[in-house]
Amino acid sequence: MTPSISTDSISPAPEDPKPYASRKHAASGATSSPDGTGPGKKKRSVGKAILATLPIFLLMAMMLMGQGRLPTDPLRSIPLLVTFVFTIALFFLMAWTGRTDRYRAIFFVTMAVGFVITFISNLVEVRGSMALSAANMARGETPFCHMVIPMTIIPAALTRTIIFPGKILGGFADISTMIVLWIGASLALGRGFCSWGCFFGGLEDGFSRLRKKPAIRHIPKKWTYLPYGVLIAIVVISALTLAPTYCEWLCPFKTVSEFAAVTSFKVLVQTIIFVSLFAGLVVVLPILTRRRTQCGLFCPMGAFQSFTNKVNAFDVRVEKEKCTDCKRCEAVCPTFSLDSDSVSRGTTRISCTKCGKCVDACPNGALSYHIKGTQVAGNSGRARMFFLYPGFIFLAVFGSGMIQGALYRLMLLATTGSMIK
Amino acid sequence: MRKLKSILGYAWALTALPIILATFIGMNVWAKGFAGLTGLEISPWYSGGKSAYVVSHEGYTTTVNEPVFQGLVGETKKGFVQVKWTPAEGASLPDELSEAIDFDGDGAPDFSVRLCAGADKAELEATNQLVVGVREVLDLGKERAVRVNVLNPKRRQ
Repeated sequence: MTPSISTDSISPAPEDPKPYASRKHAASGATSSPDGTGPGKKKRSVGKAILATLPIFLLMAMMLMGQGRLPTDPLRSIPLLVTFVFTIALFFLMAWTGRTDRYRAIFFVTMAVGFVITFISNLVEVRGSMALSAANMARGETPFCHMVIPMTIIPAALTRTIIFPGKILGGFADISTMIVLWIGASLALGRGFCSWGCFFGGLEDGFSRLRKKPAIRHIPKKWTYLPYGVLIAIVVISALTLAPTYCEWLCPFKTVSEFAAVTSFKVLVQTIIFVSLFAGLVVVLPILTRRRTQCGLFCPMGAFQSFTNKVNAFDVRVEKEKCTDCKRCEAVCPTFSLDSDSVSRGTTRISCTKCGKCVDACPNGALSYHIKGTQVAGNSGRARMFFLYPGFIFLAVFGSGMIQGALYRLMLLATTGSMIK
Repeated sequence: MRKLKSILGYAWALTALPIILATFIGMNVWAKGFAGLTGLEISPWYSGGKSAYVVSHEGYTTTVNEPVFQGLVGETKKGFVQVKWTPAEGASLPDELSEAIDFDGDGAPDFSVRLCAGADKAELEATNQLVVGVREVLDLGKERAVRVNVLNPKRRQ
């Protein structure tokens, strides 16, 4: 089976990826590694991998155990130790096997699940429910998240106020702290934030991996421009109404975080919309397409974040000499960031989240992480490590608290019968 | 030229790690700096606006905020005034609260609002045509607040 090649559609995944890849491989004269890493992904020696992991080990030890000693309460110390070992093991495997996406995704999905468990448990513990009342908003008790950032810029510039019922400084997830985190991640990773930092993205990343083969293969390319349309619409409407339109009407992730208490017909309609969007874009479509459909076809923050790829040192490039035009990279890209045009130019589309899935999937090692300004050929291993350190540290530090929190809640459930203290 | 671009590329890439470390390690400092430098505040549509005047009563105080008419550019036609009752330390609010409010600063009351502490409803008696009705009643723990919809006097002239 040969996948269709069209400039106005995203190529489908091959029916049977492995034989397909092997066939192309053989055609190009490349040989597969016996460990399955492929010719583009060289396994390091264990010693070198340990050495590469050492900085992460030390940094994580410093960050996670910053208080100097382990907590005495086993409900706190066990999650901390498990998270630490889990984090280090995943980076070691990345360094050792040369595979990026497989181990990134394990952490990324765990972080998202951990976020949901921790966040909801905390809300119920502190507030009694996931519902957000008008009084909570008036008191500025709404945690800020990065999804709001694009909507706040124009009103902030013109009115010097943030159109969000949170706190500028102090309290959980205050606006200044979240914006600082986002600026840091954007400067270092660009849209890599969406695959190495966004605590929502892991949910659909997880769902997109449940089926072995996609049930829906053809997705017209024009749909990949929808996030930019949504971005323009919500930025304009939010500025005109001085309210975060996306949060009020469209954010699918309110289903697994918090939402306005249903006290009117309007809020009921809003609730139906966001639950439907969650079910469709975060659960059902990722399962059917094996793609991150919310991120690639809807998320306005993702569209906005795409522009930060321009002010970032890293990208993913295609070595044309090695490329056999097998289309496998296009088929596996979760955010529709590779198509015939971009591959022929030797690059990805602006929406690339640097997840590394295409790099792992390419049977010829034609795709690699790249540092802008440097040669594409010959430096892929170095460029990958240059990206992996900041990328993984952001993911690990940002996510380890969520994973620890979730483990704590699960242990609480196992020992007391309730996740709420 | 290629070598220079390469050196600059690696130098740029090398900054990514310190940026991430500095982001996490100095997060509180950066956040305070960001808040201080930008001087941003929460939109009055959510916070209720700035305090205009405070009336002291025995056992509690009433804070009347400036009316909120903030628009993206200029002011809106419709807005609201927030009235908040705060008990004295260690005390609780009386069962029934009542206050005459002058929101336009002309020295004459524009409306009076009555609130039963246990109930979610407030009664409004308007003496100014610009006062439209009760927008919402907020249970803020020990405090109670009422937001009253008003029309912007500047936009009616």
